Amino acid sequence: MSFIPGQPVTAVVQRIEILKLRDGDNLILGFSIGGGIDQDPSQNPFSEDKADKGIYVTRVSEGGPAEVAGLRVGDKIMQVNGWDMTMVTHDQARKRLTKKKEDVVRLLISRKSLEEVVRQSMMQR
Amino acid sequence: MPIDRLADMEEKLRILEDLNMIYIRQIALSLKDSDIQKKIDYEIRMREGACKLLAACSQRDQALEASKSLLTCNARIMAYMSELQRMKEAQVMQRVARRSSDAGPMDDRSPCKGKVAISDLRIPLMWKDTEYFKNKGELHRCAVFCLLQLGGEIFDTDMVMVDRTLTDICFDNTIVFNEAAPGFELRVELYSCCSEDDCSAGSTPRKLASKLSSSLGRSAGKKMRASLEPGACSPTSNGGGATILLPVPSVPGPKYHLLAHTTLNLSHVQDSFRTHDLTITGNEECSYWLPLYGSVCCRLAAQPHCMTQQMMSGCLRVKLGGEPQGWTNVYGVLKGTNLFCYHQKEDMEANVEPVLTIGINKETRIRAAEKDPQSKAQNICITNQYGGEEVTHTLSADSREDTQRWMEAFWQQFYDMSQWRQCCDDLMKIELPSPRKPAIVTPKQGSLYHEMVIDTSDDIGTVTDILTRRMEEFELRTQLGSPPHWMSLFEEDPPRSPLNHQRLPPRSPSPHLHGRPPRSPRLLSSNASLTSDSDSPSSISPCFRQAWSPDSSSSLSSRFRPRTLSLDAKLSTLRGRGYGGYRCSCQPPVAGSVSPRPAQTGLSCSSSTSSSSSSEGSNSQESELGFSRPSNARRSLRNLRAKLDPRNWLQSQV
Repeated sequence: MSFIPGQPVTAVVQRIEILKLRDGDNLILGFSIGGGIDQDPSQNPFSEDKADKGIYVTRVSEGGPAEVAGLRVGDKIMQVNGWDMTMVTHDQARKRLTKKKEDVVRLLISRKSLEEVVRQSMMQR
Repeated sequence: MPIDRLADMEEKLRILEDLNMIYIRQIALSLKDSDIQKKIDYEIRMREGACKLLAACSQRDQALEASKSLLTCNARIMAYMSELQRMKEAQVMQRVARRSSDAGPMDDRSPCKGKVAISDLRIPLMWKDTEYFKNKGELHRCAVFCLLQLGGEIFDTDMVMVDRTLTDICFDNTIVFNEAAPGFELRVELYSCCSEDDCSAGSTPRKLASKLSSSLGRSAGKKMRASLEPGACSPTSNGGGATILLPVPSVPGPKYHLLAHTTLNLSHVQDSFRTHDLTITGNEECSYWLPLYGSVCCRLAAQPHCMTQQMMSGCLRVKLGGEPQGWTNVYGVLKGTNLFCYHQKEDMEANVEPVLTIGINKETRIRAAEKDPQSKAQNICITNQYGGEEVTHTLSADSREDTQRWMEAFWQQFYDMSQWRQCCDDLMKIELPSPRKPAIVTPKQGSLYHEMVIDTSDDIGTVTDILTRRMEEFELRTQLGSPPHWMSLFEEDPPRSPLNHQRLPPRSPSPHLHGRPPRSPRLLSSNASLTSDSDSPSSISPCFRQAWSPDSSSSLSSRFRPRTLSLDAKLSTLRGRGYGGYRCSCQPPVAGSVSPRPAQTGLSCSSSTSSSSSSEGSNSQESELGFSRPSNARRSLRNLRAKLDPRNWLQSQV
């Protein structure tokens, strides 16, 4: 899925609902993100297109809420609770994920393997 | 209410812009030319993207790149719009001409188009000696790039940072314009933008800002004054000369100004380097000023299509040897300055040597001879001067139409050669720009000592600022943003840890960057004895991490001084680049990277020395990596991150 700025983006996405874990005063999601429009996209090890400035999941902590919900390393986050994550800075992305008032985040993530699966299932038909 | 009026104005501008777009679209539609309209739409979307990026990005060099693409988009939009206007006018004129039945000349020949390539642009600079010897202030740096326009095509070169250590501005790009007429005008414009921290408000790190507020050097002060006066230097703003027709959205951020320009045409084309004069706009008082010598060197080459493509091909009969009746069938190909005659068409494709090569150049004379009594077709006689001798070849085509077509091709070839002049003497080589290669990072400045002036009273902030600036400079020089070799100090990835492991002395108190847990937070207290080179990877990183925790800064400043000398040696011995990502942790490298926060946890452990949090720190190494995040540490961390902010791939834990 290549991204041409200015063109609409089509992607196969999966919905992932993560329930934040409360740890004292903090709400933990249990993963790390990388990327953003203010970051250098060529250093992203997970992106296919090295010019893609989207937000990617770089690490998922074991047994954390994200892993339980089905998030995997290398996923690209497209939306968080309805907010777009394809054209945001790194800090904006982090803020949208860590809002204190929200107990649950619903992510739309896209993954290369998803597209493969969909394509194969369509071909089989 | 000035604010209301400003909003009102912006509203009006936006309406004007929309109206302009509708007007442009109408023109494009009426011309039934969707190609240009698509291009305009694309450029407008690129421009919107660039504006958005410009508004959002925090790093200076990214802002400069975004501003450059904004300027290029604007220039392209202007070019497309003027082309649309021209086409519309031409259409109207045509209709008028048809009506008045204006009979123009019958054979209105138009010369063939060609490729024009400009490469190896070099603009010499002429710094005054006062810049070197008396100017103790910060390095005056500008970001420059060239905008090249030919016909409707506009290209920009990469951006180059220029300061007084450079003697020339060099652009490595090769720009190829594909459809250029012989009467082309290649406009070269040099844009520059001052790139000093004190010129832009709000992005100055706090400590630098406080230093600057107290004292400004003479040159820096002049520049500040110049930058504060908006209209002082040049009327062109971000839009590159936007007219009322399409008001440019003004975005905050670095603005490029036109520094110099020149126009090249066919007379400047040569197969080697030439120097041309530059017209310099702007004066010394402007913030974006650079002392240009006044000329530009480049290699401007042209390949007209008549030299590279087959202009005509077909079957011919040629009289070979001295036999009056001996006609040989050949397949003739007119290309460049030669008419190649092959036995058969397949020979040409197989690259076999031609049977006969007849030169067609400025000295050649071609005429149609009298009708051959045998055939109805006319003969074509081609006369050349080889040495002192005149050699005539006689050719014959199959039919009269063929003969006519060949003669037409020859006339066209002669006309093209007369139009393209020196380009048709010999084929000039044009190298197509190769795909982007990662540029090798070569530190152009002198040694680190020039910039690493560390006072005893200074704290980590200064060093981190200086190193940050150097990191930024290095980043700007490389295409792929590969960090310089010493950035690997801040990285830990699995392939490198064995290396670090080897380089560490067998010293138990300093177990940083070991591949194995447990990482005792006490590592911070054990760095007193660092003298050997092998300590380098370990010694620097804890310093930086220590920088984040404000409480432990005092304990570090004393420790920092002995490290200065070995810092230089260590930094120069490091090599290679890691996997990227500014991973700052005192923990073993894990599959991904570790966010700064668990490290912060570790650090605050050191100052608080509470056993529970230290065990948390070590826990976090192995498993869940920091489920606790002290919030005040996070805030200071964010400030420091904003300060240190190298152009790397940040990762944060959520």
